[in-house]
Amino acid sequence: MRRLSPSFRLPALPALAGAVVLAASLAGCASKPPADDPDAVAEYNESNDPAEPTNRVFYAVNNGLDTVILRPLAVGYKYVVPFVVRSHIHNVLTNLSMPASLFNDMLQAHPRRAGTSFMRILVNSTVGVAGVFDVATEWGWPAHDSDGGMTLALWGLPEGPFLFLPVLGPTSPRDATGFGADVASDPITWFGQGVLVSSLGYTRYGMSAVDTRTNVLDDLDKIKAQALDPYATIRSLYRQHRQSQIDEARSDDPATVPAWFVQPRRP
Amino acid sequence: MLTRRILLMSATAVLPVLGLPLSPARAQSLDQATAFIERTMKEIAAVVNAPDTLAGKQQKLQAIIDRTVDVDGVARFCLGRFWRTASPAQQNQYLDLFHRVLMINITGKVGEYQGVSFVLGRTQPREGAIVVSSTVNRPGTAPSKVDWLVSNETGSPKIIDVIAEGTSLRLTQRSDYAAYLSHNNNSVQALIDALRQQASQPG
Repeated sequence: MRRLSPSFRLPALPALAGAVVLAASLAGCASKPPADDPDAVAEYNESNDPAEPTNRVFYAVNNGLDTVILRPLAVGYKYVVPFVVRSHIHNVLTNLSMPASLFNDMLQAHPRRAGTSFMRILVNSTVGVAGVFDVATEWGWPAHDSDGGMTLALWGLPEGPFLFLPVLGPTSPRDATGFGADVASDPITWFGQGVLVSSLGYTRYGMSAVDTRTNVLDDLDKIKAQALDPYATIRSLYRQHRQSQIDEARSDDPATVPAWFVQPRRP
Repeated sequence: MLTRRILLMSATAVLPVLGLPLSPARAQSLDQATAFIERTMKEIAAVVNAPDTLAGKQQKLQAIIDRTVDVDGVARFCLGRFWRTASPAQQNQYLDLFHRVLMINITGKVGEYQGVSFVLGRTQPREGAIVVSSTVNRPGTAPSKVDWLVSNETGSPKIIDVIAEGTSLRLTQRSDYAAYLSHNNNSVQALIDALRQQASQPG
């Protein structure tokens, strides 16, 4: 029997997330306001957060972990590593996630975007020296957001109620499912075996976490200092940001017209 | 051959529709909004990048915001349905505090914006207002996409919202206030007290 590589354990994360989702939905629910207060009912429906008490517990747990682990790492990373080096590391991480983007572009039936992702992998992995330099952007293939949650959204799946998961943070049933699909469909998840491969895999996830956290360092500090209810503010920001990514993907679908034919005017 | 010609003809017939013909008045208000944002961006960049003291910069920035942003309109929007339930005295207190907290939040970090520059994108109408897109470049950070929502409702062009990377400042602020209010028995007075607390803290 073939022994499964240690990196196989990673796809267990979505399963864990699923279990937590289930636990969260059972553990506690926000009480629905009485029907004779239409404004309050409208507000309850708008925030679409029936698991709010449980979500707030996880928010507090994540916040505590962030304060003692991730934020200090991000602060140190930003302090020690110059911006140029950080952006090169960011480029490498982005390049590693491009196969998943390409896969999602295809599932979204966006041939132009898929072509851009394909060219980004090709150019940045070779001329860009394993993704260190983002040559593709200069050559006319700029990066775009594309992930499993967006694919499901474009397929018409509703977002569902707000979720705040341990480690993963703000999400929704749709986006958590998409995240699981992304991890499972990422070729690197399944690539090779052995101590070196799996430790490189974990290094990548760790670096991604620090890189992402560093990029939102100032913004998150500002939210925590300025918001009266940081949890609600993050909920609103997360939803708006996702919606704008989805809208952009939906509208960025230029016609692929043969060169000899009248070209449609791009707005 | 004939089919191709028909296709070509129908394609050219569709083009003006795709090009969104605008009435002269609307086109003019779009140009006006673009010019207004361009002027404002230049003023802000000039103040932020000037060799001035922090206090001097904050004061000048405050003057620009007072002139170009419909602060009262934004404040009313952020309070949402609770604006109607607030007493006139509370409304005045709230407007005053909102104004002060907004100024602290914007001008508090003015030192960090050294070297900022703006590149304007396209302008288009949206929901009774006009959106002017821009890219904000700051040294040491990745460029960010910022849209400015401009309204002529008060008679002259005023900024009524800033949408950074797809997130609206006033919508986010409104949900923050709404969540705070719902955890404090929908008491506008509790919100006013919290804002007073924020206004008394520097930065």
